[in-house]
Amino acid sequence: MFNRRILTAAVVVSASAALAGCDQFFQDTSDREVDITQMSPEELAEYLVLETNSFRLDQDVQEGGTARERMQQDEIQALCSLEGSPNSETAGQVVAAARASYERPDGGVQLGDWRRGAELARSGYGYRVGHNNDDHGTREPGANCYACHQMDPAETTYGTIGPSLANYGRERGTDESVLNYVHEVVSNPHQYFPCTYMPRFGRNFLTEEQISHVMAYLLDPESPVNQ
Amino acid sequence: MFKKALLALPVAMAVGVAGTAAQAEWQDPNDVLQKLLEAQPDSKYLHQSEMNIMMMPDNPALYLLDDGEELFYKERGPNNASLESCDFGKGEGVLEGAYVELPRYFEDTGKVMDFEMRLVHCMKEIQGFTSDDSAVSQRHGSGSDIMRLTTYIAHQSSGYAWNPPLDHPKEQAMRDAGEVLFFRRGGAMDFNCAACHGDSGKQIRASVLPEMRNSQEWTKAVSWPAHRAGQDNVRSQNHRIRGCIWQMRHAGILPDTPVNTALISYWNDAARGEPAILPDLKR
Repeated sequence: MFNRRILTAAVVVSASAALAGCDQFFQDTSDREVDITQMSPEELAEYLVLETNSFRLDQDVQEGGTARERMQQDEIQALCSLEGSPNSETAGQVVAAARASYERPDGGVQLGDWRRGAELARSGYGYRVGHNNDDHGTREPGANCYACHQMDPAETTYGTIGPSLANYGRERGTDESVLNYVHEVVSNPHQYFPCTYMPRFGRNFLTEEQISHVMAYLLDPESPVNQ
Repeated sequence: MFKKALLALPVAMAVGVAGTAAQAEWQDPNDVLQKLLEAQPDSKYLHQSEMNIMMMPDNPALYLLDDGEELFYKERGPNNASLESCDFGKGEGVLEGAYVELPRYFEDTGKVMDFEMRLVHCMKEIQGFTSDDSAVSQRHGSGSDIMRLTTYIAHQSSGYAWNPPLDHPKEQAMRDAGEVLFFRRGGAMDFNCAACHGDSGKQIRASVLPEMRNSQEWTKAVSWPAHRAGQDNVRSQNHRIRGCIWQMRHAGILPDTPVNTALISYWNDAARGEPAILPDLKR
């Protein structure tokens, strides 16, 4: 993780206004000149993201708070910033962090309406900010399942970053253990697949009601996913 | 400009099927693409659009070249100056092979600059434009000065192998930070760049994605400017970065900023040795 003290030590106070007139990319808000060659690649990357005005960090974001908070890594994001699969130690830390933050919904896991789940599964709307901002007041955010997964076998346009989920419910049924497991995976998949690329949909992204609809699309025997 | 393309054609044909080894010679962008397709017959990414491959000789991006050339040599801006004294790293006004050797460290600014950052720097310093002038504020779209100039200047490096310098410690630092950024997970969906570009042949919906570790896929991936058929506009590397980061649900990225430079330093290094397709045509 980013260590503020190391970065501060790498900051060199600029003695002159020699750079006046030039763009101020490598001068932080206190006008100090920074020697980027004295930082580790990780320190420089954090510095670039958070201290150089490369992003609109003051912008409000849909989940609440600002884009700055969105760009500050939490534990799982930091642990999973690696190429390929995590080693066993990292994987264990990720699973533990994921389990510690998981909450089963009050009253147990329920299936919602698969028709609403179908709409959510196809929608890639929501949470985008910058030059265009998704307005959740006019349109609810989607779950974007088809970007990465096959689901309804009749749907021809689907991504392949995640595994096919066609007939997922037909093979598994809808007893309580299945409902609990699928909710855990949709809400925070790192509990079972440490450092997966699947988002944590229970982390300020979908409501519990929306998750219940997506789960119905996946598991309900009437859903086209299981035909 | 089209005259130059015709003159270069016999050269490209003489090189023929010698593979896609590092080139220091101008090649027609379609010839570069055809050689890549032959070298990677099983790449789903490179072969995904028969239509675009067929359209490549008539790439709509080529229509920006004449306008871009005129803008480059015309005396413009409050200082009534052309861009002939702009140094893209190989000397004032030297464009051949310059685009594929960016980003690089520039003594006059004391920092590593990517192509668009350098172009805007020259338009401000030499021609006297300010950030508010549409000549530099409009970054996107085939009708913008920036995209016309970018297409013309980049075209002078078509077929040259990507070769961003790493001799200066700041160049190496930015490239290495770019690698960290490529794998840095964040935002509302926990994505990093490798989520989409870490494996071969994966799709998001119907779009086949390039793999960063396959340099022959990656040279096409980073070969912007390119006409995007689905958007009917010529787009830049910086536009691709902005679009990816927006879809990743990170924070909105701003132009002329060092996160762009670091990512492009890493991108172009990952395509090192493979010839650039300039301009390209994409889905």
